[in-house]
Amino acid sequence: MVSEKLSALKDEMLKAVEAASSLADLEAAEIRFLGRKGELTAVLRSLGDLPESERRELGRMANEVKMEGERRIAAARERLSASAASSVADSERVDVTEPGTRPPEGHLHLVTHAIREITAIFERIGFVRTREPEVEWDWYAFESLNMPPDHPARDEWETFFMDAPVHPKWGKMILTPHATSGTARILASEKPPIRAINIAKTYRRQIDVTHVPMFHQFDGVYVDKDVSLAHLIGVLDYFAKEYFGPERRARLRPHHFRFTEPSFEFDISCGVCNGTGLGPDRQKCRTCKRGWLELGGAGMLHPNVLKAAGLDPKKFSGLAFGWGVERSAVMKSGVQLDDLRVLYKNDMRFLGQF
Amino acid sequence: MNSLVSFDRLKHYVNLKGVTVEEFARRMALSGPAVEKIHPVGEMLNRVVVGHVTDIRKHPNADKLRLAMVDVGATHASPVQIVCGGSNLKKDQWVAVAQVGAKVRWHGVGDWVKLTPATIRGEKSEGMICAANEIGLADAFPHAEREILDLGVALPDIKVKPGTPLADALGLTDDVVMDIEVTSNRVDAMCMVGLAREASAILGKKFLWSGATLPRLVRAQRATPVQVKISDRRLCPRYMAVRVSGVTNGPSPWWMKRRLASAGLNSISRLVDITNYVMLELAQPMHVFDTAKLRMGDKGPEIHVRLARPREKIQALNNKEYALDDKTLVIADAEKPVAIAGVIGGERSAVGEKTEDVIFEAATFDPVSVRRTARRLNVYSDSQLRFEKGLSTEALPFALARAVELTLDLCGGHVASAPTDVRAGKYKAAAYSITTADVDRKIGVEIPKSKQVGILRDLGFKVSVRGRGTIHAVVPWWRDHDVESGQDLVEEIARVYGYANIPPILPVGQPVRHRRNEELAWEDRLRTVAKGAGLAETYSYSFTSDDVYRKAGYDPSVCLHVQNPLTADFTFMRTTLLPSLLQIVAENEERYRNQKLFEVAKVYYPGTGNREPGTGWKELPDEALEMGCAFLVGEEGWREAKGFVEHLFHELGIEDVSWRRNAEVGFWHPGRSVQAFKDGKLIASVGEVSPAIVSNFKITGRVAMVDCPLKEVFSFATATRRYAPPSIFPESKRDLAVVVDARVEYDDIARTIRRTDSLIVNVEWFDTYQGRGLPEGKKSVAMHLTFASPERTLKTEDVDAMLEKAVLGLKEKFKAEIR
Repeated sequence: MVSEKLSALKDEMLKAVEAASSLADLEAAEIRFLGRKGELTAVLRSLGDLPESERRELGRMANEVKMEGERRIAAARERLSASAASSVADSERVDVTEPGTRPPEGHLHLVTHAIREITAIFERIGFVRTREPEVEWDWYAFESLNMPPDHPARDEWETFFMDAPVHPKWGKMILTPHATSGTARILASEKPPIRAINIAKTYRRQIDVTHVPMFHQFDGVYVDKDVSLAHLIGVLDYFAKEYFGPERRARLRPHHFRFTEPSFEFDISCGVCNGTGLGPDRQKCRTCKRGWLELGGAGMLHPNVLKAAGLDPKKFSGLAFGWGVERSAVMKSGVQLDDLRVLYKNDMRFLGQF
Repeated sequence: MNSLVSFDRLKHYVNLKGVTVEEFARRMALSGPAVEKIHPVGEMLNRVVVGHVTDIRKHPNADKLRLAMVDVGATHASPVQIVCGGSNLKKDQWVAVAQVGAKVRWHGVGDWVKLTPATIRGEKSEGMICAANEIGLADAFPHAEREILDLGVALPDIKVKPGTPLADALGLTDDVVMDIEVTSNRVDAMCMVGLAREASAILGKKFLWSGATLPRLVRAQRATPVQVKISDRRLCPRYMAVRVSGVTNGPSPWWMKRRLASAGLNSISRLVDITNYVMLELAQPMHVFDTAKLRMGDKGPEIHVRLARPREKIQALNNKEYALDDKTLVIADAEKPVAIAGVIGGERSAVGEKTEDVIFEAATFDPVSVRRTARRLNVYSDSQLRFEKGLSTEALPFALARAVELTLDLCGGHVASAPTDVRAGKYKAAAYSITTADVDRKIGVEIPKSKQVGILRDLGFKVSVRGRGTIHAVVPWWRDHDVESGQDLVEEIARVYGYANIPPILPVGQPVRHRRNEELAWEDRLRTVAKGAGLAETYSYSFTSDDVYRKAGYDPSVCLHVQNPLTADFTFMRTTLLPSLLQIVAENEERYRNQKLFEVAKVYYPGTGNREPGTGWKELPDEALEMGCAFLVGEEGWREAKGFVEHLFHELGIEDVSWRRNAEVGFWHPGRSVQAFKDGKLIASVGEVSPAIVSNFKITGRVAMVDCPLKEVFSFATATRRYAPPSIFPESKRDLAVVVDARVEYDDIARTIRRTDSLIVNVEWFDTYQGRGLPEGKKSVAMHLTFASPERTLKTEDVDAMLEKAVLGLKEKFKAEIR
């Protein structure tokens, strides 16, 4: 009786397992026969009521059926899993060309990017960035830089003056027209060897497509014993290649600044015409002057500037260089800034591009 | 300062054989004056030729036009027909013919256009007979309107054949004009002779100039010299004058016109042109007076160099009248000013067509005085431009002699006085000594002594070598304003040696020990955090306007003002970034309904030195770094703003911040702003901006902002992170929702719960509800509570007891009810 029931149950069970076409079907079959309340389980439980003589034989039989069932189910599961895995390509397909979920996207200003890069380049050769006043005394901006009052060189900077009384010792209060005033402060407060770079806001009374009344400059200084022109050329050449790329060339042209002697203008070969001075149409390159772009000023510190800072020019010499951050950024990145004022308009359509 | 220099002309002063203009430009730029542009002169006259009018016929269809038959040389079989309206057209005339392909400017105005074959009123015209202004020669050859350029009249001394390119006839074909930038300290190089000296040293070519001298003047007639009196020899260290009589003035010859034109100067008349010519040659400005127009003194012409007297005026050569003051140095005759010294001449004593007797002035004036006068009167001239850079007193005899030489050549006449020479003192040339070792050390490369000496000599220094390596150099007079020390001699050697020949060397050495500016590092970190949180960085001007400040409810009167602002938008230094950020939000709102902005910049406070009211800004302002943020994100903007600040503080390692409702009324929304304090110091103000202020800026949405004084914030920032091992005992969590009066604040609830037991390790807000199901004026606040002990596993009973105790506390303190 029981044995027939067992064998019928076995057939039924194996049939159901074979028939299962999905893992869900298989699971249902497993529960139906082998689950806690399953049909085979019920039979197994009922064996306890049988007399000892029958129990052993039927128990063995029932266990075989159970094991056979488990074996078949395991095999079927393996088979069905494999086919399920092979079908997820369809069953779980999503349109992966839809955009991903991005974290919030912020932006840093073009000037910040440029300042970071310039700072990093000079930090690699031991220059320490400093921060100095932007509202400054005439003494640091002009007088200590070898530009006495009434010197025509002062006219080259369209200076903003503050509505403040003239200081008996330091002169007029102004907005720094160049970052070199910071260099004057560094020279006065640090002891050689000095290697510093001041990156600051600077101000000049001009506004048009190529001028903004506030912009950024960096001004580097290195003072030690036996600092030579060769060092200046070395530092500038290093910067040119690091910032603009190894294919760009740098040149120095004699110039005149009151605080350096000799003084230079520092040019970079034009990245648009590759220094040829000729545009794609064989006409003059519209970006540069004869293959070169003016970048900034540089020179060896004038002995009077060292003296003004309390340093002995017989003992120490120094080099200094400096130019506009915006100019460097624009010259490098090929950002088509036809109007420099865009930098400080803060139009999201501009800010969002960096 | 830029000057235009003809390359062709320069070759008369220095031997440039075999040097192309390109090479000249390149090599000069690396050691001296920079050639910025090169303009080929002849190119403009391409396809313009000399023509000879062989016959003239009536135009059948027009009264004012005629048909000229013009011989334009062998390229055309016979005379060509050209339709011409020139009123002075006549047979046998020599004319300028623009052929097809030439560039002309119709009637001398508008753009240059390329000439094409034309039929005018039915008659073919093979080119155009040009007026001077149609081919860019108006300044050189002035003539009446409606006339054409009559080359026979304009160039009486030039013989050419029909068909000769006009550029050849004018000697312009091979010439180029260079636009040269000369630095302000090198005014000596702003002339032919100075530039030639530079070129000679830099290119190693022979210098060809030798100055004119005054021997003929000394032996001249024994007329009394011009009386010159200088009242202040500091303002006029030297003045020379000489009188020339029996001259004839008139238009200058072509060669003179051409040389002036290539330097960008107009030809006026022979006598005036001579003074300009000398200036272009020697950089020494000159002036010429018509002797007959001067008020004479007892002994003839008198010249007084003095300060102007009260109420004196002068009608200047630019047709303007100037009121003079006692700071203005003038040249006066026996009675009145006749020129503003070094700046501009006077109309009354100007030379004209009838002038027969002149006095030439060559003088040196104090640069600062000239500069100030020019600024004060707003008069600028080629002369003033040079004087204010500082000129040597030793140029005068050369200039005066050259002017006389040219006058006798071009205007005839004779020298009528011995030259007068009044000066402040004897000239003493400066001299400096340097050692060759010093030069090598400063340049960073070894340059042989002979090379060092050679360079200085080429530049005109008188050099003597003393001892083993000392170079003693006497500064030539033309460099007496810019060579001021031995360092300058090093520069001279370095630049002529060639900067390109100096090897680049990166400095090595020990790391420096400067004060570290921690602020810079934290600022950079802050920017990274803000960008990561989805904010966009702005940069706005440090100065702002009354308008923007007042709209934001700030008082501009406490701010440091700019004395000479550029426009009303930039009148004072800001003390907060918030108004400019609001302005930026407003300007972007139409396109961007969702904005999250931040800016990090200095603001300018009065500081401690400027606290006394009414005494002005005695000290520099306190430049304090600040961060401002703006969130235009809708109703919950304040929460985003606060969340960002919490995130930022976390990133900067700032913990245990206490937040207090902001009681300050004004800029902030009265119910939606909060301030963060750390150890009693304010480190952030956060919240929604008052609706009134938002609407002042015409912003339609709600704006939440952040204002952080970064000096204070950074003082608490730390990069140090501590690690505490996680407890080995599990923690328990419970949710709690309490109904309280709507004005009860979460922060107080949380603090009360936390104080109940130290084992309540965290209270985390997750919802506040108000509205349906709750009585009016009540809210439900829901929180996750975490319980944990470092010593044991908490039992359910322990947790329940603590929770109960916490609820009891809330009931007592806030009349809270469990929801």
